[in-house]
Amino acid sequence: MKFLIPLLLFTVSAFGAETLHVYTWADYVSPDVITKFERANDCKVVIDTFDSNETMYAKLKAGATGYDLIFPTSYMIQLMEQEGLLLDLDSARLSNLKFIDPDILTKVHDRTMKRSVPYTLGYAVIAYRKDKVKDPQPTWAMFDRADLSQRITLFDDMRETIGAALKFLGHSINTRDDAQLAAAKEVLLRWKKNAAKFDNEGYKAGLDSGEFRLVHGYSGDLFQVTQQNDKVGILIPREGVTASCDEMVIPKSSPQPALAHALINFLLDPKVAAENMEWMGYLCPNTEALKLVGKDFLENPAVTIPAEIKAKSEVIQDLGPDIAKYTKVWDAVKSE
Amino acid sequence: MKRSSIPLLITLAVVVFLHAPLVVLIVNSFNASRFGGTWEGFTWTWYEKLWQAGDVWDSVVVTLKVAIGATLASMLLGTLAALALHRFRSRLQSVHHTLVMMPLALPDILMGMSLLALFVALGVQTGMLTIWIAHTTFCTSYVAMVVLGRLQDFDFTLLDAARDLGANRSQAARKVLIPLLAPGILAGGLLAFTLSIDDYVITFFVSGPGTTTLPLRVASMMKTSRNLPVINALSTLMISLTFIAAALSFRLQRRSS
Repeated sequence: MKFLIPLLLFTVSAFGAETLHVYTWADYVSPDVITKFERANDCKVVIDTFDSNETMYAKLKAGATGYDLIFPTSYMIQLMEQEGLLLDLDSARLSNLKFIDPDILTKVHDRTMKRSVPYTLGYAVIAYRKDKVKDPQPTWAMFDRADLSQRITLFDDMRETIGAALKFLGHSINTRDDAQLAAAKEVLLRWKKNAAKFDNEGYKAGLDSGEFRLVHGYSGDLFQVTQQNDKVGILIPREGVTASCDEMVIPKSSPQPALAHALINFLLDPKVAAENMEWMGYLCPNTEALKLVGKDFLENPAVTIPAEIKAKSEVIQDLGPDIAKYTKVWDAVKSE
Repeated sequence: MKRSSIPLLITLAVVVFLHAPLVVLIVNSFNASRFGGTWEGFTWTWYEKLWQAGDVWDSVVVTLKVAIGATLASMLLGTLAALALHRFRSRLQSVHHTLVMMPLALPDILMGMSLLALFVALGVQTGMLTIWIAHTTFCTSYVAMVVLGRLQDFDFTLLDAARDLGANRSQAARKVLIPLLAPGILAGGLLAFTLSIDDYVITFFVSGPGTTTLPLRVASMMKTSRNLPVINALSTLMISLTFIAAALSFRLQRRSS
């Protein structure tokens, strides 16, 4: 059983005093930024990745520990907070909080940044093939276009897709009103007839190759497609869009809360945030940093959306038991 | 005599079915397009990015350490379990049989959650050790299955013969039993290795800080990474290595026989 010894040693050495454990999405922080932080703070940063908020939550809820800084999506933070998993942030150690776009704070759950700090902001929007879609209009009604039938994809995501239909009808994406949801269901059944499929991953490749002509996708991902392929354009629906915000939180079980605070503050530094967002291709809601990023990045419609549409955008909130109303609509849409 | 063309057609269909996805993957690892939808020219970019992607290599190292450790441990435990199950037919052994076979039927998510709950209750920090234990748990069942199959055809009178000829128990086991069972144990080990290398669900729950395995990393890259083709490049390297290893072992086998 000699092979066991190095394994055990490895396990032990991974928990040295000055190691910060970050639990986030893949390629979500620039490695250069991390190296700078390690040098400035004389520590080591280890990054682990998850691929869904729900499984990450299940794992923490079951008692997994050892992580210092986690990057969940806003709606999941609400749940983690209710379960008492999150540490109260010490704002004295976070001098750079002042750079966070005050506008986004009016939309997220934790408006005073008591336990979470916004990291990235993305929107669910529409992208299309300029060479194959005639007369593109910035509206969710594009999904009704008969000439694009079977060349459309919609998100395979209950809240995003019902949210798009609700926005199309002029309602809130967090509505609890049965009549509004019933109306959204009718819209979705109509869109479904037009759509080739519900899809969360393949739409990027499908749009790039021309298999799909109109897709429902995340602005950050679609920004990457537009960089790759100039035949792809982006439409920001004028009825308003759903916004999703990934935030930084420190779990109560964190072994290194001081270092975790330091990393949050470091990532909010305008220079660092600018470098970081250009590397990963997602927008950081940091007003000072946005003045420092390149024009190409900033002028992309997926990054900077018109102010009047931004005002109409909403962040998906956790609805507690009322989520059953959405599940019912979604099941009906998917099964019919 | 006219040969039927059906076997050839079936072979072709199988080859295409099994290998077409690999070909697409290899081609896309040299494709300048990030999404692989269209061919946009030959590039080494993804290999260069792979070379620089320290976190991907960290995951490869974690994955291999776990896979090798779990394979060795499960080969030992699985063989012992199979021997016990084959030789003894008591009520205890029928319970044992059920317990060994349970992980084969148990949904992964249940196993992952329950193992995590166990580690948390015991106060064990999740990490390399817990992944290794979890992988050994389910790999042991597969090894036991394969070795048990081999034992069905095993002629135990050979062991009696060895004893008659003066071998003691351990000599009989070492010189007769183990060599004859070796192909089964090795086959079980290989199966365990491949299962460990690509397990996602159980690993997700029992992994800890600093131990993101390759499947976990890839699943997350699908969601947010701009450099997904790096995985195509890595897979291409792994496929090439597998082919070289298979070709070498084939040669060695031919030479020895």
